[in-house]
Amino acid sequence: MSRRVSRLVAGLVLAGLLASAVGLQLLRDRWYGSPQPADSLLYIRSPETMKRMALSFSGILADLYWIRAVQYYGGRRLSKDPNRNYNQLYPLLDITTSLDPMFNIAYRFGAIFLSEPLPGGAGRPDRAIDLLEKGFRLNPNRWEYPYDIGFVHYWTRQDFAAAAEWFQKASEVPGAPWWVRSMAAVTAAQGGNRRASRMLWQIQLENAESEWVRNNATERLQQLDAMDQIDELTWANRQFASRHGRFAESWDELARAGLVRGRPLDPAGLPYVLDPQSGGVSLSPESPLNPLPTGERGR
Amino acid sequence: MHAIETENLTKDYALGFWRKRPYRALDRLTLQVSPGEVFGFLGPNGAGKTTTLKLLMQLVFPTAGRAEILDRPVGDVEVRRRIGYLPENPYFYDHLTAEELLRYYGRLFGLDRATRRQRAGELLDEVGLGAERRLALRRYSKGMLQRVGLAQALLNRPQVVFLDEPMSGLDPIGRRMVRDLILRLRDRGTTVFFSSHILSDAEALCSRVAILAGGRLVSSGRLTDMLAFEVKGWDLVVDGLSADALTGLGPGLIRTTTIAEGRYALELPADARPDEWMARCTALGGRVVSLNPLRETLEDFFVRQVGAHHRRTEPGSNN
Amino acid sequence: MPLLPIALSVFRESVRDKVFYNLLLFAVILVAASLLVGQTTAGQDVKIIKDLGLAATSLFGIFIAVFVGINLVWKEVERRSVYNVLSKPVRRPALVVGKYLGLSLTLLVNVSVMALALYAVLAYMNQGFPESVRQAWDAPALDPALLIAFVLILAQLLMMTAVALFFSTFSSPMLSAVFTFGLYVAGHFNADLKNFETIVSLRPVVWVARALYYVLPNLASLDVKSQVVHGQPVAAGYVSLSLLYAAVYIVMLLGAASLIFARRDLK
Repeated sequence: MSRRVSRLVAGLVLAGLLASAVGLQLLRDRWYGSPQPADSLLYIRSPETMKRMALSFSGILADLYWIRAVQYYGGRRLSKDPNRNYNQLYPLLDITTSLDPMFNIAYRFGAIFLSEPLPGGAGRPDRAIDLLEKGFRLNPNRWEYPYDIGFVHYWTRQDFAAAAEWFQKASEVPGAPWWVRSMAAVTAAQGGNRRASRMLWQIQLENAESEWVRNNATERLQQLDAMDQIDELTWANRQFASRHGRFAESWDELARAGLVRGRPLDPAGLPYVLDPQSGGVSLSPESPLNPLPTGERGR
Repeated sequence: MHAIETENLTKDYALGFWRKRPYRALDRLTLQVSPGEVFGFLGPNGAGKTTTLKLLMQLVFPTAGRAEILDRPVGDVEVRRRIGYLPENPYFYDHLTAEELLRYYGRLFGLDRATRRQRAGELLDEVGLGAERRLALRRYSKGMLQRVGLAQALLNRPQVVFLDEPMSGLDPIGRRMVRDLILRLRDRGTTVFFSSHILSDAEALCSRVAILAGGRLVSSGRLTDMLAFEVKGWDLVVDGLSADALTGLGPGLIRTTTIAEGRYALELPADARPDEWMARCTALGGRVVSLNPLRETLEDFFVRQVGAHHRRTEPGSNN
Repeated sequence: MPLLPIALSVFRESVRDKVFYNLLLFAVILVAASLLVGQTTAGQDVKIIKDLGLAATSLFGIFIAVFVGINLVWKEVERRSVYNVLSKPVRRPALVVGKYLGLSLTLLVNVSVMALALYAVLAYMNQGFPESVRQAWDAPALDPALLIAFVLILAQLLMMTAVALFFSTFSSPMLSAVFTFGLYVAGHFNADLKNFETIVSLRPVVWVARALYYVLPNLASLDVKSQVVHGQPVAAGYVSLSLLYAAVYIVMLLGAASLIFARRDLK
């Protein structure tokens, strides 16, 4: 065997071995699931310890923890497990922001992940507020954090007084835009009003710095639209009931009565569900707009 | 059959980190060594001696040409069972003793336990390290390491031994030991191939030599063929002669060198009659200390050959 | 085959270079920790000792694997002792593989002693708790499943030894150490590469990350420390596949190392 041939054979054998190593990993991942880094990575739960152990690498470690927080959140959100929880989300974000106290995006997105109700988020507005308050304590020049706290109070907890108070705090931070002050005023005057909410989200949408915030605001506005539409459709069904002494059996029946046009679709494109017994109208269970916020007062 | 044979053996090294330039360390060396010979491989520093030995051990790979040992290509692992090699300035492992080292190498040769023990003991005695056999090698001096190196080269009772500068780092007693060892190997029929730049060693030991300069073979052959053995003159040393008496010796002296008060070295031409000169000295009250014929030495030959090589290659030369 | 004498000589060198002194430090850490944690945490002592023992085994082992591994072939070449070995009937790949086996033997002994020491400390601690407290633990103190973690740690160490040896056939110890530690860190954060598409939407970047996930030594998948400590089952199939993967990867690296070393000029 000539030297060139033997070299070729050796190269092929090595390539074959590498291919088998890859194949084995594919098999393992298929049979036993992809590795989930976030579970084992919270070996150290205390941000203070972590910070001390990070030596001078806290910046890069903060990035790593942020990436993992995003992956953790994304993985849980997409998971089909009905019993999923987001228990490690707050520790991950807490460590991220302790390692890098100026990690703006970790506070703001982290708060959204935390405050979102289950199953789309952790359903922990209290933790979201903790995170943002920590951010505001460490960065008193950022008006965004009190502003976001106001949002959490407003949207998730329907505590409009607290929301107005925090919007007010945000407006007092030097450099805060003019509309924060008006938002504080509107919330104080007519908090919980759907029109006030719409204005809040409209402003959020127009001033969004990132795709994610824009999408979130759009979804919120769609939810508000859906709530308006549900009110209208419920009203139409009541009309039907006052004429026929019973609620409509189907959208077709309502359409034939001239009360609706065709099968009404929600802003996400899914049909509304009509309950013939109670006359209630609700979102399709598959609709991405679920769950609608509660406690909003009508127009 | 040849013990060692090379044909157009050539080695280029790439020099420089970024822009590699080839440097020819060995240029088309063709050489044969017969079984049982003691072969001296001579040349100044940087002539390519060590490169040749590394090529023969396949520590480096040739750019061109081929080399065989005992009629097998140098890459053949089996041929290494029948050869021994002492590298230049050998180095071993700090954590082992000389005895442990030889036993380890014995295992690499596949020797059984009893043979390993026996040969390790014998060889360490032979190279004069019997007392230091249990000392860690990191405490060894350069000369002691050289002796260990010799012992390990002979562990397998090789048919061909390659010694790279076997005398280096040794004191006069050590040199004598190595000379005796090489002569004993020759008597046993072992082929010895050794490199050196010390010519007196080669003159005392070798049947044939090759002289290398600038990576090229400049001369090779039997010592007796290479050197003119006729007398070139005489060297007469006398004592007890006065300066006046010296002038009274008359014409015909090539050179007079004063060694000490009243003691002179007189160089006579080849055609002089030394007995007449001795008689003349005695008549003038002097005493003859020694008389030696002057012949060409390997050193003269070497200086002439290597010098000629340098004159040839220097102008416009690139290697 | 000269593999055995070469391997044994590496093992002997480790012994004489006092590599096994790390076991003493390990024992001191374990004993000191077992005395200390008893005063601070209630009920979690056994878990903490397990965490600590496994982490120290992995960490000490990786230091041995890297710092001895990067020198295995390099030192032999640099100090020219390789001239003597290779003039004996020893093929170059045999030298590479023999050196690898020698360090593997050292690591096997090291990890085994550490496992024994951890079990000994756990056995001692186990006696100190009433049955009611033991019931509350995720896993029993003398859990045989710990052995799975030890075996997989050893597999990781053997993989990293192969990586270090591979680099040491052609690069200086300093560079080899940097490369090897780099791969060690990358190997542990490997899972992040797999899920890269959740943070980056650029397709080529995702593909590169995915390719790296499969090609780099996947150490994270051999890390079952936390599952074992929390008493979660580790499937036998998973362990076998992981070990098989490690074996294939090691053979590949040794093959590449041999190939490179066999063609090198030893100047």
